[in-house]
Amino acid sequence: MKLVDVMSGAGLSTYAIVALLLFVLAFLAIVVRTFAPGAAARHQADARLPFSDDEPGPATRARE
Amino acid sequence: MSTHVDTFSYDDAIVRKFLWATFIWGLVGFLVGLWIALELANPAFNLGLEWLSFGRLRPLHTNAVIFAFAGNAIFTGAYYSTQRLLKTRMFSDGLSNFHFWGWQAIIVAAALTLPLGFTQAKEYAELEWPIDLAIAVVWVAFAINFFGTLARRRERHIYVAIWFYIASIITVAILHIFNNLSVPAGPLKSYSLYAGVQDAFMQWWYGHNAVAFFLTTPFLGLMYYFMPKAADRPVFSYKLSILHFWTIVFLYIWAGPHHLHYTALPDWASTLGMLFSVMLWMPSWGGMINGLLTLRGAWNKVAEEPVLKFFVVAVTAYGMSTFEGPMLSVKSVNSLAHYTDWIIAHVHTGALGWNGLLTFGMIYWLAPRLFQAPLHSKKLAEVHFWVATFGILLYVAAIYSAGITQGLMWRAFDETGRLAYPDFVETVTQLLPMYWVRVAGGTMYIIGMLIFGYNIWMTWRARPATYDVPVISAPPLAKAYVDPHPAPAGAGLWARFASAAWHRRWERLPLTFTVMVVLAVVVASLAEIIPTFLIKSNVPTIASVKPYTPLELAGRDLYIKEGCFNCHSQMVRPLRHETERWGEYSKPGEFVYDHPFLWGSRRIGPDLARIGGKYPDLWHVRHFEEPKAVVANSIMPTYAHLHRRALDFEGIQARVDAMAMLGVPYGDAVRQAPAMAREQAAAIAANIESQGGPAGLGDKEVVALIAYLQRLGKDIKAAPAVAAGGGQ
Repeated sequence: MKLVDVMSGAGLSTYAIVALLLFVLAFLAIVVRTFAPGAAARHQADARLPFSDDEPGPATRARE
Repeated sequence: MSTHVDTFSYDDAIVRKFLWATFIWGLVGFLVGLWIALELANPAFNLGLEWLSFGRLRPLHTNAVIFAFAGNAIFTGAYYSTQRLLKTRMFSDGLSNFHFWGWQAIIVAAALTLPLGFTQAKEYAELEWPIDLAIAVVWVAFAINFFGTLARRRERHIYVAIWFYIASIITVAILHIFNNLSVPAGPLKSYSLYAGVQDAFMQWWYGHNAVAFFLTTPFLGLMYYFMPKAADRPVFSYKLSILHFWTIVFLYIWAGPHHLHYTALPDWASTLGMLFSVMLWMPSWGGMINGLLTLRGAWNKVAEEPVLKFFVVAVTAYGMSTFEGPMLSVKSVNSLAHYTDWIIAHVHTGALGWNGLLTFGMIYWLAPRLFQAPLHSKKLAEVHFWVATFGILLYVAAIYSAGITQGLMWRAFDETGRLAYPDFVETVTQLLPMYWVRVAGGTMYIIGMLIFGYNIWMTWRARPATYDVPVISAPPLAKAYVDPHPAPAGAGLWARFASAAWHRRWERLPLTFTVMVVLAVVVASLAEIIPTFLIKSNVPTIASVKPYTPLELAGRDLYIKEGCFNCHSQMVRPLRHETERWGEYSKPGEFVYDHPFLWGSRRIGPDLARIGGKYPDLWHVRHFEEPKAVVANSIMPTYAHLHRRALDFEGIQARVDAMAMLGVPYGDAVRQAPAMAREQAAAIAANIESQGGPAGLGDKEVVALIAYLQRLGKDIKAAPAVAAGGGQ
């Protein structure tokens, strides 16, 4: 018996629906967490990361 | 609390190298594009040279623009931004340089092999197996360098741009490996592991996601870093950028089958591809809006800063092409657009507008910082912007018109119910004025590129004798994360879920994030791939469909070598105007021995699925020698070299053996392929001579190609179809 025969007779369609549901649930969890109350301050700080190298710090300069 | 502070510097030398490579390969890719546009407007530009023909050069154009221009642009921006966002130097300077030189060597190998006809015949995956192996090695080196940098980072949070880079690195590796699995049949020749429908499915799973994870996600990463930097304000909504990322990762991977609507692909797969493509519209526009709104309150800067002008039009082009993509995936729209120039216009809105202009904007912003000298001329950058933008508009307006014109002409019926334009070449010559407008638009874009090169060159010339290298100080990451806003003691599940602590711990382990991305990509892929490969009813076999003879196989390889599939499809869709024009619609079972599939994606010439027996052998001889001799207005280049070049009969055996390894039932041909090929070639040559054609073609390449073309579409007429494992 070939793998093709096994897979054809295995009735796998249910698993596709289960996988899709898991995907939707994972995505909903991301949405809920992203928009959770209290997340705004954290996101504002994260959004400023590209500017962290522009901010004054203890950087010194050297020659290559 | 530890007060230890690390000091380090960023490696900008590697960024400068990638920047120059972006310009050089971009110019090469665009010039090849201009040349092949000229060849379509007037076939005299093929110059009668086989290695300059459209079929050979078109893959060079697409590969140069995607992997050489856009690829080097991605690496330029990623190497610059990754170091700064993670506050660390790249993991290994040696790996960075190996990545740079390895990638350039691969591009040179592509530039040499593609015009010589070494190709796997899969769009954007044409390169042959040794080069594919080299790509895998260089990509793995890049990945090790990138993830090593991530592991050594001094910034706790991984900024969203880096998420996009991670998804790109992982997914491109998966796509490249699985689409290029093949059995070698020589030093630069291989056959795809998959056949027919399954090969088509894998190819467009790859092809669509190459667009997604090479031309979209890494550029979104660049947008999320460089646009805020240029506008000097953070991204409009970080929340939206998170949703943008995860929605793209969840949805994109499913959308590939929309490239195969109305083909022999199972209907469920193409419907699934359409649904996910339509859903993609939402996150794509979310990303576009997020990019454009980053400029809120700073629109006055757009008037003054060419960098922002480039970014605004680039992001707008992203929005336009990601609206058009879902629209084109709707089956009824696709039935008009597929195989026409509409698709070419669509991809050029993305490539010239989104990838090109974003790259130019990024480099104009980077050049003064990398070369430590002011930009040579802001005015020239403005000129570049306007010349390039009008060039794009001219290009896409002409090619949209060409695509819709040809699509409508194909499906037009007259009042008697017959095809209004039965002569295919009529639907091609109608487009020639628009092809000249495309040449004008492309020329403008290239003029802009030359202005850009001059401006960057002059900026580079004003560099200091020695570059300053800032020494950065930053504390290393503490092993344990202390949440500045912890959930109160005894807080419920919700408060703990919403707090940053667990998420920050996950972020400390970049592998966790990578595994999640891999899961999203692999599970979605398998949900489509497993049924297509392993459930028999998806590809019903047809008893009368037999393997190609050794000579036909050699002819098929010549068809691949000359890149005929770049202009000719082999797929009759089940649409009335298609069956009226070409004959019986194509069935999945017809392609079970097609390693690789050759359905094509564009009809500059007619479909060939049912060409077998339509014309006598002599017609093909005359046609290859001088196409205009038999089709007055043809724009096909001459293939007279096939009449001169001797066919390598002995080399056919290795090819038959490789196909036999793939499970093609070759029987006796496994031992005597050259003799069988010689016998069939002699019969065809005698036939040509008896029809009044030239003598002595029996050992020339042209007989093999004629043998192949005369076989196409004949098997299903040979006997009534017998379905095994399911009905049609």
